[in-house]
Amino acid sequence: MGARILVVDDELQIRRLLRVTLQAHGFTLLESATGSDGVVCVGMERPDLVILDLGLPDLDGTEVLRQIREWSQVPVIVLSVRDNEAETVAVLDSGADDYITKPFGMGELLARIRVALRHAAHAPCEPVVVVGDVAIDLARRIVEKNGQTIHLTPIEYDLLKVMAVNAGRVLTHHQLVKQVWGDQNFEAAAHYLRVYIGHLRKKVENDPTRPTLIITEPGIGYRLLDFS
Amino acid sequence: MRITRLWVPYLATTLAIGLLTTLLLRVGPSFQLVNIALLFLLPVLFSAARWGFGPSIYAAALSVAAFDYFFVPPFFSFSVSDLRYLISFAVFLSVAILTATLALRLRMQVDQSRQREADTAALYDLGRQMTARGDLPGILEAIVTHVYGTLRFPVWIVLPADGDRMTVSAKAGQHPQDDGVDEAVCRWVYLHGDMAGHGTGQFAQTKQIYVPLKTEDVVRGVLVLGMRDHVNVRFTERLRLIEAIAGLSAVSIARIQLEKEAQMARLSAESELLRNALLDSISHELRTPLAGIIGSVTGMIENAVALTEADRNDLLFTIRDSAMRMNRLVTNLLGMVRLESGMLRLHRRVCDVSDMLGVAFRQLQDTLQHRVVDVSLQKDLPPLQVDDVLIEQVLVNVLSNAVKYSSAGGRIEIRAAERDGVALLTVADEGIGLLEGDEEKIFDKFYRAEAAQKIPGTGLGLAICRGIVEAHGGVITAERRSGQGVMIVIRMPIDGGEASNGGQDTGCRR
Repeated sequence: MGARILVVDDELQIRRLLRVTLQAHGFTLLESATGSDGVVCVGMERPDLVILDLGLPDLDGTEVLRQIREWSQVPVIVLSVRDNEAETVAVLDSGADDYITKPFGMGELLARIRVALRHAAHAPCEPVVVVGDVAIDLARRIVEKNGQTIHLTPIEYDLLKVMAVNAGRVLTHHQLVKQVWGDQNFEAAAHYLRVYIGHLRKKVENDPTRPTLIITEPGIGYRLLDFS
Repeated sequence: MRITRLWVPYLATTLAIGLLTTLLLRVGPSFQLVNIALLFLLPVLFSAARWGFGPSIYAAALSVAAFDYFFVPPFFSFSVSDLRYLISFAVFLSVAILTATLALRLRMQVDQSRQREADTAALYDLGRQMTARGDLPGILEAIVTHVYGTLRFPVWIVLPADGDRMTVSAKAGQHPQDDGVDEAVCRWVYLHGDMAGHGTGQFAQTKQIYVPLKTEDVVRGVLVLGMRDHVNVRFTERLRLIEAIAGLSAVSIARIQLEKEAQMARLSAESELLRNALLDSISHELRTPLAGIIGSVTGMIENAVALTEADRNDLLFTIRDSAMRMNRLVTNLLGMVRLESGMLRLHRRVCDVSDMLGVAFRQLQDTLQHRVVDVSLQKDLPPLQVDDVLIEQVLVNVLSNAVKYSSAGGRIEIRAAERDGVALLTVADEGIGLLEGDEEKIFDKFYRAEAAQKIPGTGLGLAICRGIVEAHGGVITAERRSGQGVMIVIRMPIDGGEASNGGQDTGCRR
């Protein structure tokens, strides 16, 4: 039996769309039309994943997430809209796993769901993460592209490693800065982050102006694409 | 001062008669009595012509007395033994009265024509001043200063404000002890279009006169003149001038008000045009993809069995493409609304041009498939302080235009470089290009170039681009390429353009 997914969205159309398509992919669907109902449902039904709309009529997304996170680590994917990047970042920084912008393609949503479920299962990370033609050997700290070793500086490697461990998930600027530079002054470190992403792209991407591995999520952060 | 001046004619008459008497006493004997009598008429005539009744009658009396006393025997006595001298006194008196009357009438005529000339000059001057002013407050100010300068009455101009209130819009010459304007009288005059106040049939007890500022049948406002006790001119004497000033003022106020109304009408006609363009464009741009979606879906529901796998896929792709087109339209419409309503807030952070281009390419990867995209960025291009989400929208709009207006296999050249603190980004295509003179117009809302009419679009994309770029303190222009196609040029200040609009965050969005 497939994973149980709770959809918290006040729009009947969206719930119906997700029910039909996700059930066709073998998932079991639970539905809530309000934030408070969604929080209760997480407690009662113990879903494996929650899809949470940020535009709920009763509670705002951050509040629903906070209430869920008080006692549950269930992966949460938020449904956002364009021009709402500030709230999306806030929700991601306070523990949502990923986001997707409405309107979205089903393939994209399925990929996010799979990645979130995989990370939630705490499957021991593969010792070698392969994205596209790049292989990152986490045990030996070696990165290869098409079999050729790429030389990375320690910070470049740390940055790539954080992204590789979270392959497929979006990481906000804050999350990346915190994991690579620690609790440094964020403004300064955000500047480094941009510079090092540029360096990394030059080394791992075929065409750094049209990146296919390290993707910018405008206004949010970066994502290492997951090809599995 | 006025008292001393009143004495002057009498004193002068006395002196003149004294002088004449002395003179005649010296040469007297050689003159006959009738000559002397005639000479004594001189001061009477003079004072009558110069000073009017009082002094002339006084002169007549004094002359007869002097004549009788000094020259009629018995000398140095007032014995009026001869009745003849009573007759000469009567003659003197009638000469005095007649001359004084004539002189007075003449002087009044002169005074009147002088006053009339001054009034005409004043009106002419007022008229000139008013045509020189183009704004209502300026004109009102000119009127009240002028009226006060000419008539020395305190003056108010009362205009109807919103609702049925009447408000004083300009005033001049008020003293603290003056009565204020009575709003009820103003309203009465405004409603009836008749004069009221002092010396008229209505509200005659007030110390002011209320004159309607009337053009044809429309009352534009009320001119109020206050009376002052020590000014010894009455409204009634200057009524013609007051009416003329009121007429002139009314015409000027009407001119400004009509101008304003015409401008309002023009504006509302313009916004009406814009609204129609918006409705046309949006209804077309929304209905076309909706027709695609509804048609495809109903086709699939109703003919499910008859459709082959390939047909079904065709319809599904139609639905997807139509929906995406609607999504683009909605994004642009929202962007426009946000720009126009001033709700746009820039969340600036340090961004690489290459990064933003990458995002745009990714969004357009399907669209760009059939074009050759040639990117060349300056090696050490400094990062920009911009709202990356918005600049990406600009890039997406510009790039999708480059695709939309060119044919498959066409080349799109993207260049970026820095010069003197300004980042220069150009996107050049080999598409249908622009007519001369369209370079600016394509950034207008809803403008579609002649040649672009066949290709679907709203005419919003570039307008939004311009709005976003300018909000960043940058400039976006279009150039006709020498061969074929268009080059869009974006110039952005590297340091973030401090002169740009407010509402910007520094640092990263959070």
